[in-house]
Order: sequence, then structure tokens, then C-alpha cells
Amino acid sequence: MPMKPLPSSSARVPVKFKIPTADNLVPIRLDIEIDGQRYRDAFTWNPSDPDSEVVVFAKRTVKDLKLPPAFITQIAQSIQSQLADFRSYEGQDMFAGEKIVPIKLDMRVNHTLVRDQFLWDLNNFESDPEEFARTFCRDMDIKDPEVGPAIAFAIREQLYEIAIHNVTSARETRISKKGRRGFEYVPASKAGGISLDLVKYFGHKTSVIRKRKDWDAFEPIVDILSSEEVDALEAREGKTTR
Amino acid sequence: MCRRPRRTRRAGRSPSLPEGSRMATAARPDPRGHDLDELDLYTIPIHSSWFSWDEIHDTERAALREFFDGSSISRTPKIYKDYRDFIINRYREDPSRRLTFTDVRKALVGDVCLLRKVFLFLEKWGLINFAAPPGRGAGGGGGGEGGDDDDGGARRGTVVVEDGAPVGVRVVAVPNSGRPVILPPPAVGRYDGGKGSSVGQFRLPSLASYSDVFAGLMKQKGLVCGSCGGTCESGCYEYTKGDFKICVNCYNNGSCGENKSLDDFEFKEGKGSSASHAALWTEAETQLLLESISKHGDDWDLVAQNVKTKTKLDCILKLIELPFGEFLLGYTNRNGRDQNVDGNANNTSQVQSVTSELPDQTKTEERSNDQIEEIVQNQINDVLNEGPPLKKKRAASLSDGGSSLMKQVSLMSALVGPDITSAATESAVSAICNETFCPREIFYGSMGHISNGSSVPAMNHLGRDIENGDAEMNDEVPLADAQGPLPTRSHMPLQVRAATATALGVVAARAKLLADQEDREIEQKVASIIETQMKKVHDKIKYFEHLGHIMEKEYAEIDDLKGLVVSERISILQKALNAGISRWRDHFSLKPLTGS
Repeated sequence: MPMKPLPSSSARVPVKFKIPTADNLVPIRLDIEIDGQRYRDAFTWNPSDPDSEVVVFAKRTVKDLKLPPAFITQIAQSIQSQLADFRSYEGQDMFAGEKIVPIKLDMRVNHTLVRDQFLWDLNNFESDPEEFARTFCRDMDIKDPEVGPAIAFAIREQLYEIAIHNVTSARETRISKKGRRGFEYVPASKAGGISLDLVKYFGHKTSVIRKRKDWDAFEPIVDILSSEEVDALEAREGKTTR
Repeated sequence: MCRRPRRTRRAGRSPSLPEGSRMATAARPDPRGHDLDELDLYTIPIHSSWFSWDEIHDTERAALREFFDGSSISRTPKIYKDYRDFIINRYREDPSRRLTFTDVRKALVGDVCLLRKVFLFLEKWGLINFAAPPGRGAGGGGGGEGGDDDDGGARRGTVVVEDGAPVGVRVVAVPNSGRPVILPPPAVGRYDGGKGSSVGQFRLPSLASYSDVFAGLMKQKGLVCGSCGGTCESGCYEYTKGDFKICVNCYNNGSCGENKSLDDFEFKEGKGSSASHAALWTEAETQLLLESISKHGDDWDLVAQNVKTKTKLDCILKLIELPFGEFLLGYTNRNGRDQNVDGNANNTSQVQSVTSELPDQTKTEERSNDQIEEIVQNQINDVLNEGPPLKKKRAASLSDGGSSLMKQVSLMSALVGPDITSAATESAVSAICNETFCPREIFYGSMGHISNGSSVPAMNHLGRDIENGDAEMNDEVPLADAQGPLPTRSHMPLQVRAATATALGVVAARAKLLADQEDREIEQKVASIIETQMKKVHDKIKYFEHLGHIMEKEYAEIDDLKGLVVSERISILQKALNAGISRWRDHFSLKPLTGS
């Protein structure tokens, strides 16, 4: 017996903000330069860890990477401000309506270059970027163990940005004067720029199988660069070796 | 293992199959209807036999609920089916290489996490990647088949080809080359109750239905042709003047038995019509049948009258199916006449016609064999008159006898009691002694009294038996005993031992066969009971799950409705307040909103 589709499927009651993944982890990006030394890093942080952990982490990082001690405070501050940002969104509402967003990967991790794009459901609160990254590395036979976490981080970061965007748009709608209907209208029109038009992609007239010529566009590209190429790229980016 | 033909893709989609493949053009594939050219056989493990190309099974619905609860336009059963079909077809393009998730996700529109879920589901059930080499990396969830083991086999990971199938994994002849394989009929498989032994290539799930397992045992009771011994399936020709059937081939060949002409045969409908007859004959009915036959002989109307629950046709069929059916008829026909050699000749000719598969032997041996058979057969016939009710217990009929004489003898001795067997052996031995010299020496040794003189009395005995005919076993036993003491003591044990050994051995063999039969029947019954119970429980569970689902949905909807109603009320009150209508307060107080 088929289920009657819920009438409000596209306009759920707004849920509290959270990263739409199974683990509630905040993507933290660091890019600090002191006296010509540059430290870049990206990782995920569990917001339920106590704040004291931030300083401990900063100290240990500096010690491991043999950075000058001035970095400690900078690192700690950066992390804390990003966490604060995250927490500021936490109490608010965001739209959790059905939203399939395209995620793009375009990054270099040591010697591996990764380029890819795929679709992700923002409403799937059980999604697991780490699992996806593991599968990706296994299928593409990537030997470098740093690539997986980098991919997961990239996904998380993009999801985070979109979630923030959702919150701001929700905030704007609330104060708009559209009244009751506003909840239903907004996701389709305002956020249409980011997410896919579901009817267009999943409706009855189209097929969910892509045309063959599109396959290459959505196929992941993994390149292994030689050392010279890596050096050339790094010089261009101005990055210190870690 | 299931066979599924390749279908054309639906219109509007580019086919993703390699150029060399052939596609069945039927819109609605019928797995049984195509001839082998169009069928592209797809091998999947037995525990996924629920899978059907055209439908979505409950297993899929349960595991991938998101597609079926109508929660989103991007997740519908049709979309799920598209994903599934695409992934499977992609795998089938090259079954020997392992299909990775990344291969398929690039070609599918949809949330990658959901796609991965579908992919893992298919892989777990062995619908893809079962014939592929093991994957790299963690075996874990993405590894391979081995999911749904009844034995709780802890083995995860890779699929193994047929020899060396791990315990708990049910694999149907998976060739290493990945070429699809035609499954031989399930009756070929060994059924060991679903236990964990990995002997043999095929193992059926432990709740296989009876017909899966015992198909070979279920004998098709058909009509046996009187002249060639084969079953008459399409139709048979019945002798109008008597009770004799030959199959179509024999009729065409003109071999219709002795004393009959082709004209006397009329065509009778094949097995199809007779299958509609009541096939169950209780003991009482059979006994009644035999009694009425011995009374009325050929008169089927009277016989059918006596056996009230069965028609004339049924009676005839049942009689043929019974061992010695035809011979009994022949015997009773001649009951009135003297028991002379002519009667026996007829009997023996029938015996000979049925047992025409005797191997080539020398002429003398043949003759002696025939004589022995004749004698033994005759004595058995003597007994038949006495004990019709016992007859039905003998499952094997004479016409089933194999080609060797020993088999014949053992069959015959199995069909009758031990007394008769020993007596028959005695007389058979004496008959042999009459023929040739050596056995005589073996059995009777160097006894002086063995001369033609004593052998003649033996012959006379036999002759008298034939002439007297009616059961006089009592006479015979003393006669046999009388002959017994004649040989010297030293050879007595040999004779006795030989006779008793034969009789005991045969009886033991029969007992074992019967016990095995009982065993199998019990197993079958228990299996079917368990299966129905299981099905019942499954159905109940499904029903309750369904119910729970419905309840959840309803609850959510009601919640939403409640929210809407509350907000509507608020807005109305707001408007009222703005308009400055104060009398609202008189009617009711603003109730605090209950938590929503």
C-alpha cells in the first residue's frame, strides 16, 4: 500500500542548526603567518570538547611542528573564534528541507591532486563524509593516508557553509512579512541557486541515469604529481613545507 | 539461481551495455519462455533468490526505507529501481571485475550517501560483485557477500568460488570466469538438511520446500506399457478384450504382445486425463478391489460396483499399478481350469515378456533360468490366492526387476515370506541338480543315493505341484523337509545357511529401504511445517511494521496539523486584537499554547 506523500514534505518545520552529518564536527581552517613562517591546516573539531582543549591542542601542535611559540596564542584564538561562530548559529533555526547540493572537490594533498563533483543531500543527517572519503580512497586506490581526511574535511566545510547560509536565510524569512506562506515559499526560490531543483532532476519525465557524455564530468580525477610539480605549485601558493 | 533475460532499456535512455551483447526484445521478460539464445543467464546466490527483475521485493523495501515512504520527490520506488537496475547492469557488463561505488556514482543523479547505501545493499545480497575478485582494503561493509547467513557465519569479506565455499555461505556454482551458468534442476543437489557440511556443490536453504528436494523421489505414477516396459505419457492403447496396455510407440511398431492383434487396441487418453482421477487408494479399498477381482475377474462393472468409491477406470489403473496386477488377472481367469502346463505357459510367457531384459546367456542357462523362474513364479502365485491383503505391501513389482537373475530371485524372495523362500530355494536347487552335474555334487556330495532315481522323485514332486496348483504349501514343506535329511549332515548346514542368509539379507535390505522412506517422509513433513510457521510469523511481523509505519506518519501529520491550527488561531486573535474587539475576552480566555 503506497504511502500518501506528506503534504509538507518540502517545507519541514525548521530544525535546530547542526552540521548535517552523522557526527557533529566543526571544520576548522587555520592559516597563520608570523615572521614569514606560514602555518596552514584544516581539521575537524568536536564542539562538545571543553574549551580548555583548544589551548592544549595549540601547544602540542607548536611543539610537534617546531613552530615559534608565538603561534600558540594565534592558533588558539583562531580556533576559538571559529568555534564561537559555530555556536552562534547553534541556537537558531535552519531549513532542513530536501536539499540536494553539489559538492566540489578541487584540492591537492601532498602529491595527490583530487578533482571531483557529486551531489549531497543536506537533509540527510546520517551522512558520513569520512565514510565517503574512505570509499573514495579505496576505489581510487589512493595510497597517501592524508588524502581521505582531507576529502572529508572539504565536504564538511562546504556543508557547513551551506548550513550557515540556510540559517541566515531562515532568519531573513522570519522577519519578512510574508506570513504563514513564507515557510513554504522560501526554500524553493531563495536557496534555489545552491541546491538542485528536485522536480527537474527527479521528476517523472527525466531519468536519474546520467547521459554517458556527462559521466566524465562527474568522474573523480586523481592525479599523482611528481616532486617537481609539487614544488612548483607550492612556490606559487607561497606555502612553507610542513 | 535465477534466470533473467536482458531487457531493452526504457525509451529515452541510452543503453549502457557493450556492443557485443544481445538484448531480448520483449518488453515484459518471461524467464521461462525465451529460448536459450535470448536468455542471458544471470547468476546470483541462492539466498538472494527473492530478487526479481521486474519487481521490488519487501527485502529491498525494508532495507531502503527512504525510497518507499514518500518523504521526498527525489526518492521514489521508480528512482530506486532505476538505480538498482543501472548498477546491476553496469556490473553485468563485466562480471569478472569488481564494480566500485565510484564507478556508478558518477553516472547517477542523487545524494551520494543514499547511492552508497543502495550499492552496499546490492553488494551485501550478492546481486553484484559476487563473481568478482576480492576488493582491496577493508573487508568490512563494502567487502563482499556473506551477509545473510542462517548459521551466523562470522565470515565476512570476499566471495569464494565454488570449491572451498566457506561455512554458512551459500554459493551456487560460481565459475571463476564469470560466465553465467545454467543451474541444473534442484533435484540433483544433495540435501543434507541445511547443516553446515560443505560437501557437494549444491546446498539448498534449510527451509527448502518439499518439491525442491524430493522432486526426484516423487515418482510419477504413470501407465506402464505392457510390451516395452516404458511409461505411456502421451497416450496409450488399451486392449479391449483384456487388461493390457501398450504405449504409442509399441502400437506403431506393431509389438502388441502375444495372442493379440493391433485391431483390438483402442486409443486411450494420456496421463492428463487419468491424473484427474482420485489417486488415493486406501487399504480397505485395495483389499476390496482384489477380492472383487478374484470374484468377478474381468468384469469391471461388477468390480467397480463393489469398490464403490472408485470408477471402473480407477480400478483398472490401480490393478495395473499393483505388483502382479496383470498376472493376478491372468491367474484368476484360469482359476476354473485345471492347473496344467498350458496355464503355466501363459503365466511364464507373461513373465518372460516382462522380463525380457535378461542378459545374454548361453542357451542352456537360459532354459534353466526360465524353468527356475517358472517354478518359483508358480509357487508365488500359489500363495497369492491366500494373501491378497499382503500384496500391496510389496512395493516392487516383478516388472521392475533388473537384468540379473539374482536380482529377480531376491525380489521374489523379498515379496514372499521366508518359509516360501526356503521351500522355493529347495526346489530350485533340485531343479538345477537335474540339469547339470556340478551343483548336484555341491549340494548332495558323494552320497550314493544321488542317482537318477532320487532326482526323478524330485521332478515328480514338482510335476505334481504344478498339477495340483492350489496352495498346498503345507504339503510342500514336509516334502522339502523329507528331502532335507537325505543329504549327508555335512552339507545340510551349507544349504540351510545359504537359504537363511539369502532370506535374512533380503529382508534386512527391505527393512532399511522402508525405514529410509519413512525418514524422508518425516523430514519432509517437518520441513513444511516449519516453513509455514515461519511464513506466518513473517507475515505477522510485516503487518505490524506496516501498522507502526502508518501510525508514525499519522502522528507526524497530526502534529503538523496541530501546529497550523494553532498558528491560524494566533493570527485570528491577532487580527481581532488589532481591530480592538474586546468582547473576545468575554467568551474565552487566551489559553496558553501547549507545547508544540
